[in-house]
Amino acid sequence: MLDRYTEMKQWRKNKMETVSANPFTLNEWHDEIIRITVKRALDQVQSERGAPPAPFVFFLMGSGGRFEQGIWSDQDHGLIFHGGPHCQDYFLTLGKEIAVGLDLVGYELCDGNVMASNPMWCQSIHGWKQQISDWLTEASWTSLRYFSTFFDSRGLIGDNRFLHDLKDHSFSMIHDHPELFLRFIDNVDLIKKGIGVFGQFLPEFRGEQSGQINIKQTTFFPYVNALRLLALKEKIYVPSTLSRFQKIKHLYPYIHSFEPYFIQLLYFRLHFQQNARSYQQVHFISLDDLSKKDKKELKWLMRKGHDLFSETKKIIEDGCSRW
Amino acid sequence: MEIALMDNLWVILGTVLVFLMLGGFILLEAGSTRMKNAGHIAGKTIFTAGIGSLVFWAVGFGFIYGEGNWFIGLSGFFYGDASFGGEGLSPAVDFMFQMMFALVAMTIAFGGFAERAKLSSYVIFAILFSAIIYPVIAHWIWGGGWLADHGKQDFAGSTVVHLTGAMAALAATIVLKPRIGKYNKDGSSNDIVGHNQVYTALGVLLLWVGWFGFNGASTFAVADAFFGFVILNTQLAAAAGAIAAMFVAWVLTGKADVPTTLNGALAGLVAITAPAGFVEPWAAVIIGLIGGVIVVYSMKMFDKAKIDDPIFALSVHGTVGVWGTLANGLFAVPAFSSDIGWGLPGLFYGGGFSQLGVQIMGVVASGLYAFVVSFVILKIMDKVMGGIRVTEEEEIVGLDLSEHGGYGYPENIHHPDESKGAIWNSN
Repeated sequence: MLDRYTEMKQWRKNKMETVSANPFTLNEWHDEIIRITVKRALDQVQSERGAPPAPFVFFLMGSGGRFEQGIWSDQDHGLIFHGGPHCQDYFLTLGKEIAVGLDLVGYELCDGNVMASNPMWCQSIHGWKQQISDWLTEASWTSLRYFSTFFDSRGLIGDNRFLHDLKDHSFSMIHDHPELFLRFIDNVDLIKKGIGVFGQFLPEFRGEQSGQINIKQTTFFPYVNALRLLALKEKIYVPSTLSRFQKIKHLYPYIHSFEPYFIQLLYFRLHFQQNARSYQQVHFISLDDLSKKDKKELKWLMRKGHDLFSETKKIIEDGCSRW
Repeated sequence: MEIALMDNLWVILGTVLVFLMLGGFILLEAGSTRMKNAGHIAGKTIFTAGIGSLVFWAVGFGFIYGEGNWFIGLSGFFYGDASFGGEGLSPAVDFMFQMMFALVAMTIAFGGFAERAKLSSYVIFAILFSAIIYPVIAHWIWGGGWLADHGKQDFAGSTVVHLTGAMAALAATIVLKPRIGKYNKDGSSNDIVGHNQVYTALGVLLLWVGWFGFNGASTFAVADAFFGFVILNTQLAAAAGAIAAMFVAWVLTGKADVPTTLNGALAGLVAITAPAGFVEPWAAVIIGLIGGVIVVYSMKMFDKAKIDDPIFALSVHGTVGVWGTLANGLFAVPAFSSDIGWGLPGLFYGGGFSQLGVQIMGVVASGLYAFVVSFVILKIMDKVMGGIRVTEEEEIVGLDLSEHGGYGYPENIHHPDESKGAIWNSN
């Protein structure tokens, strides 16, 4: 089995160059590798413990869920099963096999342990509903973070309706507690500044990333967080930022006008990720690698992200004041 | 007679204030470094003050103010004079005030030793610094030496105290090399953050108050209450320095970080030390502002040059000390310089480049002397003592334990009452 995973890793490495120029092809390619790896893990567990004891869905979260992975990515995934608590042991075993497999194939284990091998992210529908309710009612910054992570999810293998059900449950919870929107805003409002008061870049000043810009935190997050907020408000199930842009097209034409910048950012990021050798490096761009034109473009994309987030915040806050 | 006694009282009050600045340094340095070295840093400040005092008494004062030549004074060793002529300062009061400056300069120099030097190296260097480094420069500028003959202006010691201390610190940081963990293989540097910003801030405040004595009592007299004006200038420069540094840090990094702000206040104080009695208040504000800006860039420059300066002594006292000295050559007004026979007015007051030239010469000569002599001494010490730096293990364990066998924060280590067999109540 080990050989099959390392074989996949080699395949991933060989083909990466041909798919890495286009963010959409790249993400289809990631999906394909992950899907095959998960199926292999499932085969492995089935051969040892028999067929799954209940129907389930295995889903991706984070950048994978949003179909926005870069060249390197870590794992963020979960599992929902339609069965009693006794089934959890089987699915946790599956989750562990998946995590190990994906790690061998080249997707680093998640630092925050957001993986189907963790009981928190591998539960029955009932357990998940309870957990979502707890997350949303608990006065904790972390639990709201967990919810946002969960909300950017997409079923990869299994019955998608389970995930849909949970999002329904989330929407009705939020509908009953509209004050949650203000907490959602607070949760993502602190954006790492990428540009200083005089329009200069604010790269990392210390450590091995000195002189590099964290493009994920400074540039990417404002777009992603803005569209997630609107998705929560408008009950949009799809997780990718681009599909969310499509869904709000007629409701918020001004917001929709930012879509081209996000596409531009996806290409920009991918272009400068080509040299990254690990997941740790992938979010950082060295300012030395950027031409004058690139720098101008990056600043423009940062500013647009900032505008988009401010505009979104206004929309959500205006909505809140009417309740 | 009454006025003379008040002069003496004022200068001895200044002495107390300047000596308390050592308390400021204890808090500043301990707060800016790691917990495992806190007790060591506090303790070494006290015992080096002891060494410095005795050496200054034995030879330091004589080398500065004794009858001698252009280079050094050569009388008045093992000082002890109870006489008072009824005018001016009593010799003992003057001596005590001067001694405090020597102790402050030495404490600044030890900033460059922080977190990695052997205790024994502090002992040896305290003796040599107080005997042959500080007194020579003080003699040149304040003791009637060759720079005094040129009309070098240094009201309270931007050059004599701060630059001298900082150049010795520079030599020490170069000989000692950076602390473990400061620089990465690729040359990038890591922040080794201090363990208590409140200590650092209180240290700065204590220094700030002490500076009223440092600059204010450098009038040596209460006549005309000129000390009030000097203290006003001191306050304005410190205030401007703090604000400028905070603003620059915020502009450069997006965050108004606390250590930089605190260094800005100190930079304002160091900068105004030379010109405090020579310039108008508006100029004090400018001098402080520029000091606050310079200190931030200087900190970055030393960091880039891979010179590990844990307490930023090189920037705060060195770079800004240079600026403060040069500021005289720009802003000194005739009423406080040529009119009283202490050098010439600055460039902006029709003095041309003369005074500025003298100030530059003073900075270069003093800086070079302090650096070269310190460097040579430290290199020799390094050879003779089998290294002036603690071992890797000792550095990692921390100097509290490795050099003193105790711990600044004993709550963090094993307690006897947790030992097996310890009795609960001896009654």
